[in-house]
Amino acid sequence: MTPRPPVRFSRAPVQLECETCGASLRVEADQRTAVCPYCASPSVVERPPSNDRPSPHFVLGFTTTRESAQGAVKAWLGKRSFFAQSSVKTATVDSIRGVYTPAYLYSAMAQTRYAAQIGEDYQETETYTTTDDKGNSVTQTRVVTRTEHRHLEGQHATYVMDVLVVASRAVPNAELEAIEPFDLRTMRRYTPAVLSGWIAEEPTMTQAECYGLARREALEKIGRDLSGFMPGDSYHGLTHETRLDRETLELLYVPLWVLAVRHDPQKPPFRVLINGQTGAIHGKAPLSWIKIALAVVLVLALIAAPFVLAAARDRGRDPAERRGAARPLTPAAAPAPTEGVRPGGSRPAPTGGTR
Amino acid sequence: MSVSMDVASATTSATGPCCARCQGPLEPGDLRCAVCGLAAPQGRAPASQAVQVLRCTECGAAVSYSAEAQAPKCRFCGAVTRIEQPVDPIDQADWLLPFGVPPDQADQALRQWMSTLGFFRPSDLSRAATVEGLRPIWWAGWLVSADAVVSWTADSNAGAHRSSWAPHAGQTQLPFRNLLLSASRGLSLDEARELAPYFRLDLAVPAAHRTQQQLGPPDAVLEQFDAQRSAARKIVSERIAASAEDALKRGVIPGSAFRNVHVAVLLHALETRRLALPSYVLAYRYKGRSYRAVVHGQDASHVTGTAPIAWGKVALVVAGALALVVLVIGALVLARAA
Ligand SMILES: [Zn+2]
Ligand SMILES: [Zn+2]
Repeated sequence: MTPRPPVRFSRAPVQLECETCGASLRVEADQRTAVCPYCASPSVVERPPSNDRPSPHFVLGFTTTRESAQGAVKAWLGKRSFFAQSSVKTATVDSIRGVYTPAYLYSAMAQTRYAAQIGEDYQETETYTTTDDKGNSVTQTRVVTRTEHRHLEGQHATYVMDVLVVASRAVPNAELEAIEPFDLRTMRRYTPAVLSGWIAEEPTMTQAECYGLARREALEKIGRDLSGFMPGDSYHGLTHETRLDRETLELLYVPLWVLAVRHDPQKPPFRVLINGQTGAIHGKAPLSWIKIALAVVLVLALIAAPFVLAAARDRGRDPAERRGAARPLTPAAAPAPTEGVRPGGSRPAPTGGTR
Repeated sequence: MSVSMDVASATTSATGPCCARCQGPLEPGDLRCAVCGLAAPQGRAPASQAVQVLRCTECGAAVSYSAEAQAPKCRFCGAVTRIEQPVDPIDQADWLLPFGVPPDQADQALRQWMSTLGFFRPSDLSRAATVEGLRPIWWAGWLVSADAVVSWTADSNAGAHRSSWAPHAGQTQLPFRNLLLSASRGLSLDEARELAPYFRLDLAVPAAHRTQQQLGPPDAVLEQFDAQRSAARKIVSERIAASAEDALKRGVIPGSAFRNVHVAVLLHALETRRLALPSYVLAYRYKGRSYRAVVHGQDASHVTGTAPIAWGKVALVVAGALALVVLVIGALVLARAA
């Protein structure tokens, strides 16, 4: 990849006339579709392609309906963990929107040089000395498995394909990864007909940024491939250097249900994404810090309990012989019950000094 | 394997566009190259209008895409607009190899084969077996040609130190020319592998000629290909990887004993032709149990299949061997004692 100059997306909204009723529509520069507010006619805006906004190659149509997405979210909210805020489980789902999000399909040829230490196991009989039940030292033999390490280096070549990275700033790539995979077998050649009536965004990330994301994913994939490629019984110190060649990015629209969950009128809603093809859900329900703090205290208390009990018993037993005499005579004995909760050691002088 | 000039020249002339990255031919309807994932060139002209409004062909209303219908659907009249679907057909054979063996010869070939199976088979097998069914079938196969860069690692006994294994790695170019792979559900991989080398590819006839010419027995069945096109090329790639592994063990990996053989195959110009391969499937019965054999449809001297084992003979041989061992030990003990 040659470094590109910083790109400037056109920020000017498009003014167009509704074909059905003649109303004037304003389409923001980052939007690909519009719906007339007066007559609800959908339209798809096709701008001339540019470097960072190429013509789309493919589109994956929605296959889950709004109702099933809504139902799935309700079920999902009900199953949130104990640590989620209680209000989450009964939250209301508002404004569920079907969005075609731009993403790139990346593919390349990957050529890798690697080196590793390969462990080959072998068995060896060794003698050792031990004592028998009569206390005599005796010499015995046993078979042990040892590993010899051999240096290996070589090359690995493969095609990397089906790497999908997001091209919209509105959805972090990690969130898209959380609801992947998409079934690419049902992919269609791009046609505006599949976008019609839905929200579709133009790519808002540059190709250079998306190449960066895709290369990282491709290299992780190669790393996983390589660990399965190593011979021997074990390996360590695997290092590799990969050259990605003949790379391509192809623009694909993927279907996402995006919705805001409002669980507390005082707090901002949180976002949930649903794969419009498989129904996979991802969202981060806000956690209740009070519940977490209580749980931490409880766990600490449980850990501390044996020590506390031991300490309490300790305290109860030691001075017992003298209790009858010492207690009444020592005014300092009064705070003793609070000292009892200190786990172990560090006894204050007044009682400790009596031992 | 006999390389047919006919098949090679006739099939290459039929090829259309090729993948720009791996040079594999693209079939009509392919969205992406099945080997390397590159998008097929788009035939679509840039949109003529800046704004596209999809209209219902029935009532003229503007139409939205419906997730329920998975197609654009008119809200007013309910009409659904059809849009282009990806083509993923189950392919048919392009080429047919004619039968060269008549059915009665297949029966004789089975009996002949039974008598050559060896000592551990029942001696009356070829006389006592009753053939219950003899079905002529064209089984589905792929004829594959590709250049492959094969990266491999393996443990072998060459260069071993204290362990009996030493790691090896390498990268080699392997050409695959007219490699015959089974696409058949009816024929096991092993059966296909045994019969594949003896097919006369030079006799291939376009499958369309089947009705005009007498290419086999009238009741011969043409087996359907099992997998859809997208899945088929994945299976082909996997089979090539398996063949590459076999090829590596025959002389590329140093040593004579191998384990942990891993291969990564980078295919270039993968071409797949679909063939129908003639054979007879015979079901036979021996002492109440059923067995199955496959006779090559072009060369009756090649038969593969299952056959009963004479366990009585096996038991006798084992007993004999044990007796011999006991005798030898006894003799040794006696010699030591003397
Ligand atoms: Zn309008
Ligand atoms: Zn390709």
